[in-house]
Amino acid sequence: MASVHESLYFNPMLTNGVVHANVFGVRDWVTPHKMALLVLLSELGRAGAQLGLLERRRLNRLLLPLLQGPDMALSRLRKAIEECCPHLAGSVHIRLKLMAEGELKDMEQFFDDLSDSFSGTEPEVHKTSVVGLFLRHMILAYNKLSFSQVYKLYTSLQQYFQKDEKKNGADENEMELTNPEELDGKMEKEELDGPLREEEIACSGPLSQKQAEYFLSQQASLLKNDETKALAPASLQKELNNLLKFNPDFAEAHYLSYLNSLRVQDVFSSTHSLLHYFDRLILTGAESKSNGDEGYGRSLRYAALNLAALHCRFGHYQQAELALQEAIRIAQESNDHVCLQHCLSWLYILEQKIFDSCVLLEHSVNKSLHFGLPYLASLGIQSLVQQRAFAGKAANKLMDALKDSDLLHWKHSLSELIDISIAQKTAIWRLYGRSTMALQQAQTLLSMNSLEAVNVGVQQNNTESFAVVLCHLAELHAEQGYFAAASEILKHLKERFPPNSQHAQLWMLFDQKIQFERAMNDGRYHVADSLVAGITALNSIEGVYRKAIVLKAQNQMSEAHKLLQKLLIHCQKIKNTEMVISVLLSIAELYWRSSCHTIALPVLLQALALAREYSLQYLASETVLNLAFSQLILGIPEQALNILHMAIEPVLAHGAVLDKGCAMFLVAKCQVASAASYTPQKKIEALESAILNLNEAKTYFAKVDCKEQLRDVLYFQARLFHTLGKTQERNKCAMLFRQLHQELPAHGVPLINAFK
Amino acid sequence: IGRADAMAAAAMVASAGGGDFSDLREIKKQLLSVAERSRERGLQHSGKWAAELAFALEPLPLSELPPPPVLTEEDARDLDAYTLAKSYFDLKEYDRAAYFLRGCKSQKAYFLYMYSRYLSGEKKKDDETVDSLGPLEKGQVKNEALRELRVELSKKHKAQELDGFGLYLYGVVLRKLDLVKEAIDVFVEAAHVLPLHWGAWLELCNLITDKEMLKFLSLPDTWMKEFFLAHIYTELQLIEEALQKYQSLIDAGFSKSTYIISQIAVAYHNIRDIDKALSIFNELRKQDPYRIENMDTFSNLLYVRSMKPELSYLAHNLCEIDKYRVETCCVIGNYYSLRSQHEKAALYFQRALKLNPRYLGAWTLMGHEYMEMKNTSAAIQAYRHAIEVNKRDYRAWYGLGQTYEILKMPFYCLYYYRRAHQLRPNDSRMLVALGECYEKLNQLVEAKKCYWRAYAVGDVEKMALVKLAKLHEQLNESEQAAQCYIKYIQDIYSCGEVVEHLEVSTAFRYLAQYYFKCKLWDEASACAQKCCAFNDTREEGKALLRQILQLRNQGETSSTDVAAPFFLPASLSANNTPTRRVSPLNLSSVTP
Repeated sequence: MASVHESLYFNPMLTNGVVHANVFGVRDWVTPHKMALLVLLSELGRAGAQLGLLERRRLNRLLLPLLQGPDMALSRLRKAIEECCPHLAGSVHIRLKLMAEGELKDMEQFFDDLSDSFSGTEPEVHKTSVVGLFLRHMILAYNKLSFSQVYKLYTSLQQYFQKDEKKNGADENEMELTNPEELDGKMEKEELDGPLREEEIACSGPLSQKQAEYFLSQQASLLKNDETKALAPASLQKELNNLLKFNPDFAEAHYLSYLNSLRVQDVFSSTHSLLHYFDRLILTGAESKSNGDEGYGRSLRYAALNLAALHCRFGHYQQAELALQEAIRIAQESNDHVCLQHCLSWLYILEQKIFDSCVLLEHSVNKSLHFGLPYLASLGIQSLVQQRAFAGKAANKLMDALKDSDLLHWKHSLSELIDISIAQKTAIWRLYGRSTMALQQAQTLLSMNSLEAVNVGVQQNNTESFAVVLCHLAELHAEQGYFAAASEILKHLKERFPPNSQHAQLWMLFDQKIQFERAMNDGRYHVADSLVAGITALNSIEGVYRKAIVLKAQNQMSEAHKLLQKLLIHCQKIKNTEMVISVLLSIAELYWRSSCHTIALPVLLQALALAREYSLQYLASETVLNLAFSQLILGIPEQALNILHMAIEPVLAHGAVLDKGCAMFLVAKCQVASAASYTPQKKIEALESAILNLNEAKTYFAKVDCKEQLRDVLYFQARLFHTLGKTQERNKCAMLFRQLHQELPAHGVPLINAFK
Repeated sequence: IGRADAMAAAAMVASAGGGDFSDLREIKKQLLSVAERSRERGLQHSGKWAAELAFALEPLPLSELPPPPVLTEEDARDLDAYTLAKSYFDLKEYDRAAYFLRGCKSQKAYFLYMYSRYLSGEKKKDDETVDSLGPLEKGQVKNEALRELRVELSKKHKAQELDGFGLYLYGVVLRKLDLVKEAIDVFVEAAHVLPLHWGAWLELCNLITDKEMLKFLSLPDTWMKEFFLAHIYTELQLIEEALQKYQSLIDAGFSKSTYIISQIAVAYHNIRDIDKALSIFNELRKQDPYRIENMDTFSNLLYVRSMKPELSYLAHNLCEIDKYRVETCCVIGNYYSLRSQHEKAALYFQRALKLNPRYLGAWTLMGHEYMEMKNTSAAIQAYRHAIEVNKRDYRAWYGLGQTYEILKMPFYCLYYYRRAHQLRPNDSRMLVALGECYEKLNQLVEAKKCYWRAYAVGDVEKMALVKLAKLHEQLNESEQAAQCYIKYIQDIYSCGEVVEHLEVSTAFRYLAQYYFKCKLWDEASACAQKCCAFNDTREEGKALLRQILQLRNQGETSSTDVAAPFFLPASLSANNTPTRRVSPLNLSSVTP
């Protein structure tokens, strides 16, 4: 189960989705592009009722991104307008041409006329509408210009226009050369690119403050929600550097640069940007008198806290702890409870990396509720649930708690947390071994319409919860033998979370695990062995466990045993019960493979007790299977059959296909073994039912392509048919067995003695 | 023809090349002629530098004065236009000068033509910064002329029609366009063609950022190279090498050059050899009383030594000479700061920045002032500005660290101290600061490392050892603690510090107790007696002496026969014997 907490970082830029930056007095100024927009607006007003409803709607939709977006070349602007209304584009062009090729006075006249649109009893533009505000901003900015500035604006308008003319000339030449079909293709392609591709910014002029804010907030939210749609790290950094070169006081750009550096795991520059951001923030905080001293101290606290988060992200836990201590101390000194709560949550995350402590977390949840921080509170609840699940607390209580926190989420519309909660449930169901429930939860999340989509229009796409759910889904499919589907899901994951992104490690681990399982099933142990290194890099415990399994399969019993014992001690220390049980099972298997069934029994019983205690039902059933097998070998098949009834149901309902096959095979063996003491009539019945069970096992094994097991089943079946005197069936099975036996290398372990 | 002229000059220099200063008269001749030629082209600073250096040499007899430059046919043709344009140029009417020079073919006129176009662009750029359309556009204001100049000059460059001055201008244009690599190549070429032109060398100094780059430059082998190397060594903080070079220049006969003297003073300032730097600056003031350059460095030194009257005199003097100079403002700022009038000091540093926004030192100093005023946010702002101007300004990084330390964020300031330490790996102050932070964070192992390193690189404030000793004390590593204290005492006495050090008494007290515990009575009593010399430890010292006496009397029989093993190093034992109260200066000879 992945920790859900990692996404918790204080992002001052995005509170309520608004960028807070008011470093400079001037927010906006007139540029040639803005003037083109003004012309468009006035033309729009003039055209009035002549425009069709459809055209009008298209234009309205175009306007907002134009007003907010960065400046663009005239040709692109014209193309955008043309797509909505060709007629209007022509008239805008003509007016611009008149202005640019005329005199300065034309421009002055234009601005004088602009303010008229507000006058009259029924003004064309409402003063407080988006367009109205834009117009007024522009008029104000224009009026503020000094003489030389006005002249400069005019010359830049001329340049703007001339550049377009030149380009047009070039285009026309090109047009003559290329045939019309190709041109169509080109047009389509450009349409596909969309009217507002950010890559183009680089070629346009500097951003005004408004445009910069828009750019920053857009990129930041994309980074948070759907990283693949944001600019590539390198080009984003280039943009930011550009922005900072022109205005180093634009603190938020530093923060975005910090987030961007995190994407590429660059410790050095992300630290640098983070500290720089807070240095800048501190000064703006000091300037705004409304906050007084408070604003300044606040940013100090969060600076330390963010530094802690950064170190934690990069795995420098000791450093993170020191930074966190500092944040806590400062927050305590200034009685900032909200900040303290954030610190507490982080403290929990850090402690979790080292050792478990529920107390902190419970405390955190209580306090957060008290201070009205629903986000923190429910994050706390979720962590608590996660931890309790590991600690084996009663499942119904946990599900209750999750339900309660879900209530909280829906009440406060915390869509991110809803996702996390569902992912959490998926993981918990899997932990308990209820794969159908897990499957259902995973599908719920994937097919749910996010709240965010309704609110902002951005699909939250690359959050950790999605990664977790998709990974589980892939594994669930692989377990059922649908390898094609699993690899399809993994392919999708690769696209959604590119290898250098934050959550990529998750799918990498799952991918390798699935490959490992397949290799083991096929008996390609050398392939599995080569995968172990990769798994170890991502998760050391898992890696060691897999190494032991490979060793075991290669009959290197003593090495495997040594490794498993070490792992067992380690896992017991860190209280990773799931792994402890798996390790115990493997150890038991080692014992019975060495024909020490009596030693295996207590180990298995220990595993069973643990699994029951932590309600890890699937592991429990697997233990029971092992136990039954031991009993079978020890010569008490009746007893084995008895306990098998307990385990067979959950295995068939939730188990992996391989396990189902093994279980059925085992049942058949037990039936045969116990049939020995029956009356002949009954014996025949028992053997026939065993054959049926073997058939079932065969279909399961065929699904996951386990040839060795298939061979064993066939051999066994042939023997049974032989006993029953059904020669024809016997011969068929024997033939199939022969085919398989020639394909596969000889087995080291006697056929019947193996259960897996 | 101009090319030939330049070649001739190069050949002339080459004859005296290879750092060969045997013919000072020849050098003087070259300097005088290049000063004249720089002036003709409006390159005031290079002209000034050459003239200053020439002034330091013996005057030439009439017969040996360099002849006035020979006028060529082309020069004669352009003479009228040149004369007119030069006067416009001197009056800062650059566009007008350029207008009358268009079409001129002679090297001199052509250079002035291009140069006035360049300067006109620069001037317009500065003016435009004031009324650009918006703040974000401010950084975008460009010298529009640069692009055209580059195109024209590169054509000429390809055709090899540029003389030394032309190459210099081409290099400047390239640098302004941020084409650093190309610029370096062109400047090197300029130095080859006309080694006497100091401006090209100086530009190279600004572009070369480390020693490696310097190694790979192929520079002309002339005596000018020596000046260049000395200068760049100072810039790159390779003070030892720089001082060596300057010394050899002085030996070669430039002992009167104020330029060299000031550079040496700055070098001493950089390695914090305050006394030497001060005396050299005083000498410089005597020779060149109306000099303003480098006086800010001088005032820093006076400030460090808290020499109020001298600083006050300097400030008033400079203020009389020219109060609207960056250096003057800086000196006055320092003066107010020393008088603890920090608001006024900050005001003057601000004024300095208004005069020259790229004057780095003022940002840092202003940060210090705000720190004194406890205005931490303003201080952070000032330091950040300093870093923006020059990322390698270790004082600003250090100042930022201090600010956060004052705000009680020891972990947070670690980053800043580390940056400062990276820039000055051998400066003990950063290391001590780092150590203190680690100590506050209770990371004693790291703290120990820092203090030890600080001591190893030569501790300026002599505090690293005491702090190290105290750390060892805390960790109950009495052996190491004692060692540190011993080293500390040796250090204090050997450097002849007359100033009473606070921690000396602590050191002796600890040592006395340490020896007492080790039952080394002789050493213990020696240290205890030392303790009696200090007020705060007198009583303890006496008590310990009494105890030692008692114990000695008890164990008389066993210990008298055995010659007391004298563990102490020679110097320390010398220090401690109360009978030999020699002056610290004598002691320094005993120290290894």
